[in-house]
Amino acid sequence: MKHNPLRNAFVFLLAFGAVGYGAGLGIDRFVTGDFHFSGAVAAAFALLFSVAAFFFGLYGYRGVTRGLTFQVVGMFAGALFVTLIRTLMGLKAFDAFLFSEPAWVFGGLVGAIAFLFGVGVVSDWMKWARGIDTPEHHEDEPGWRKFFGVSLDHKVIGIQYTVTALFLISVGGLFALIFRTELAESQLQFLTENLRLFDQSGPQLYNTLMSLHGMIMIVSILLGIAGIMNYAVPMLIGARDMAFPRLNAFAYWLSVPAIMLLLMSLVLGGFDTGWTGYPPLSARAPVGMQMFFLGVFVAGWSSILGGLNVIATTLRMRAKGMSPFRLPILVWSALAASIIQLTATQLIGLSFQLVMFQRLFDMGFFDPAKGGNPVLFQHLFWFYSHPVVYVFVLPGLGVISELLPVFARKPLFGYRWVALSSLGIATVGSIVWAHHMFASGMNEYLRVPFMYSTMLVAVPTGVKFFSWVATLWGGKIETPTPMLFVLGSIVVFLFGGVTGPPNAMVALNLHLHDTYWVVGHFHDTIFGGFVFPFFAALYYWFPKATGRRMNEFWGKVHFWLMTPSFLVLTFGMMFIGLRGMRRRIVDYDPAQGFDHAQLILTICAFLIAISILIFLINFFRSIKHGEVATGNVWKSRSPEWQVPSPMPAHNYDVPFEVVGEPYDYGLAGSKYIEFAADGAGKKH
Amino acid sequence: MINKQEKTNLLSQGVFIFVCLAVLTLLEFLVAVTFNSLVVLVVVALVKAGLVLYYYMHMSKLNENPDAATDHESYAFKTGTNRAGLWLFLLSDAFVFGGLMAMRLNLLGLTRPDLNQNLGLFVTVVLLVSSFFMNRGETHLHNGNRAGFLKNTMITFILGLAFLLGVVMIEWHAIPSVAEAVLHLFGEPAGRTPLKPSSGVAGAAFFMMTGMHAFHVLTGLIFLAVIWVNGKRGLYDEKQYPVEAAAVYWHFIDVVWIFFYPALYLIGTAI
Ligand code: HEM
Ligand SMILES: [Cu+2]
Repeated sequence: MKHNPLRNAFVFLLAFGAVGYGAGLGIDRFVTGDFHFSGAVAAAFALLFSVAAFFFGLYGYRGVTRGLTFQVVGMFAGALFVTLIRTLMGLKAFDAFLFSEPAWVFGGLVGAIAFLFGVGVVSDWMKWARGIDTPEHHEDEPGWRKFFGVSLDHKVIGIQYTVTALFLISVGGLFALIFRTELAESQLQFLTENLRLFDQSGPQLYNTLMSLHGMIMIVSILLGIAGIMNYAVPMLIGARDMAFPRLNAFAYWLSVPAIMLLLMSLVLGGFDTGWTGYPPLSARAPVGMQMFFLGVFVAGWSSILGGLNVIATTLRMRAKGMSPFRLPILVWSALAASIIQLTATQLIGLSFQLVMFQRLFDMGFFDPAKGGNPVLFQHLFWFYSHPVVYVFVLPGLGVISELLPVFARKPLFGYRWVALSSLGIATVGSIVWAHHMFASGMNEYLRVPFMYSTMLVAVPTGVKFFSWVATLWGGKIETPTPMLFVLGSIVVFLFGGVTGPPNAMVALNLHLHDTYWVVGHFHDTIFGGFVFPFFAALYYWFPKATGRRMNEFWGKVHFWLMTPSFLVLTFGMMFIGLRGMRRRIVDYDPAQGFDHAQLILTICAFLIAISILIFLINFFRSIKHGEVATGNVWKSRSPEWQVPSPMPAHNYDVPFEVVGEPYDYGLAGSKYIEFAADGAGKKH
Repeated sequence: MINKQEKTNLLSQGVFIFVCLAVLTLLEFLVAVTFNSLVVLVVVALVKAGLVLYYYMHMSKLNENPDAATDHESYAFKTGTNRAGLWLFLLSDAFVFGGLMAMRLNLLGLTRPDLNQNLGLFVTVVLLVSSFFMNRGETHLHNGNRAGFLKNTMITFILGLAFLLGVVMIEWHAIPSVAEAVLHLFGEPAGRTPLKPSSGVAGAAFFMMTGMHAFHVLTGLIFLAVIWVNGKRGLYDEKQYPVEAAAVYWHFIDVVWIFFYPALYLIGTAI
């Protein structure tokens, strides 16, 4: 009898987790002379071993398993190498977390690179360097197995991104549930001073979980939008694949070692800076800080290269007749998001690198004692981290504009304005970053210009809202699950949008900054601009990917459970924020009278978690058991729905030509695309 | 087919651009040591960068791509896509260097690290000459002269390696005795303490900027080695894009240095 691979995987996870834990404990004992049962070293070993073993049980020693094995071996080899050199130089060889900080950093870097070799995503390039040509088209394994190894098919990579994003959302959500539970009541309940886990006390663990929640969610969003863009863009423009399929796979696979590094930061002492990693605090936090920086750096490269690919694909691979103003709106917004990803991402990488080097080599960039400037860090950091919020939301807003006409059965209102508004948002959004720094002590003359530039962003964003409302106006609106989520996006994003300008007013900002008001604001923008549209996209394109559709009933339950809970959650956050609830803090004074509100917020958080659990079950069940749907489920005009689902590799067997406007729903005789007659110009 | 006249024209264009760049570099140096005008230094750097971008990196080739109507699987079309990809990458990379430049301006303003300006001029010239030979090598391959391509690429590689070793061993004082001896040759005044990464923001900025640049030089050298070895094996008769890509990348490294050189060695007053 064949064993169920998933069962194998969990058995391996537990067994090797235990082996790793034991090994870590023993080694730690050997170096320090003491057992640390809840210490960092044992946990780090357990984490590394169990994850690799999980995939071994699932899939055997190839693909991702081989990558992870290489990463673990590479990490230890790199760390030992530095340790050896330090010993020879007469420096301290071992430290609190077994290896010294430079050893962990170097090991982390070597491990990430080793992963890429192990998983096999650079082997074609290595052959090219030796002058050997390799074919671009290789057959993927059938069934689910193709997702665990290197595939060059953009649809496979899109799904890999999406599922990885869902996994990360779950991890980040779990972290949130933990610290939300602690917040339900004032005083410390279970994250107490006496708790000791991964060499952190309860409040320290709160800080680490809160910080990692932020960054893990951000990475999951980057992967989520990469999933949508990878899956949809080539199909929408009639390309057989992305412009650079190998680079595409490379960008995806970078994210896996990045996730491992981020998780390592949790166990290696954590860090307490929040996702923003400001020095001087980040210049002193435990080793976990460095793992966090490294992880973000690697994930950043994934985002940069993914963005590069989307731009090149849009520029070069469009079908005949697809002139700029016949491009689907989703492609326009993906293009705008990708431009930010390509350029601005380098600045967060640089800012984190500078802190890394400050810690490793005692360089004085942000150290006032050496003439350095901590505010400089914030400029470099926000130069990316504001524009990136548009990376999060632009693809989502594109999804809204893409789906609305389908379900309102009406042309999209103001196509050209909407198309250009994405670029407008990206442009204006790049010159507003210092609105995060009004309270930071930056030069005062910068305040007012940044206030006005920030307010200006509302203009192109408003264009989108007008278009949505006008598209809905007088439409024959249908509300299957994807449309529910589209409508939800619009409402939630509106709340996120209107709470932005108050933040941008300098005078108000000084009061609102670093309160729960801001937390409410950005959760609304991110849910409205990413999470809701992401779910809409998943429900909408699920039949395209699988040939089956997700259960409508449970889809509706998901929506009607999540939306009200979420709105109550963020309104509550803003409410207590206005009255002085500090953000990023494990406890609050009972005298502030927030206990009831906080309890309600925690309950809402759990309701959202349940709704997402329902979604996940529906998602994975429907792959096998969903209602069969191979045709044009949503009566869409878009080219991918004119051919049966699921799409074959390299998409359209017969190329199409664009002959009309994309969103002319309900106009008699209008036509968007035409397939070449009798398969003329067949690609295979 | 390219005729003989065109072939020589392409080669002499390379020489002419090199002479312009060399004159401008010298001008820059003289301005810095005499009346040190920031405006002139910025203008000269922009002109130099423009010359390299246009003539050595043939930026205009981005417009010569066969359009989307051609067969997407043809080598010509794929080369066009690859060009777009490479330039997008360089754009992204430019943001790293731009960020470093912003860091330097914020931390040091109109002061600069106290470095040996003669040595600075020398390493800059080494990199500039290497760019000239790179262009020559690429042009030779284009003209069908494989031996010329190999010879010039080799010279580029050696000059690049010299630049890299010069920065690491001498500027960074990796081997103090060698560094002191060489610096002495370049008229180093006695008693100046070498910069260290930990010695204030000047040291931090200097090591970070030269370090990031040196890392790119290292990767550029790897690409040069790859095209040399493969060229030796007889590749690139028809499919020459890899050589173009390595050359463009190499010139990009030079463009970065065109800005970093004045930023580190010329503008403002030494501290
Ligand atoms: C009209 C549009 C918007 C305006 C005027 C605006 C304005 C602001 C301002 C001024 C802050 C700083 C508050 C403070 O910390 O003192 C802020 C924070 C934030 N905003 Fe927005 N925002 C807008 C839209 C968005 C969008 C679309 C997103 C994201 C998807 C977003 C995400 C965030 C995030 C994540 C933060 C908090 C960053 C942190 O400190 O951790 N905002 N917003
Ligand atoms: Cu912002």
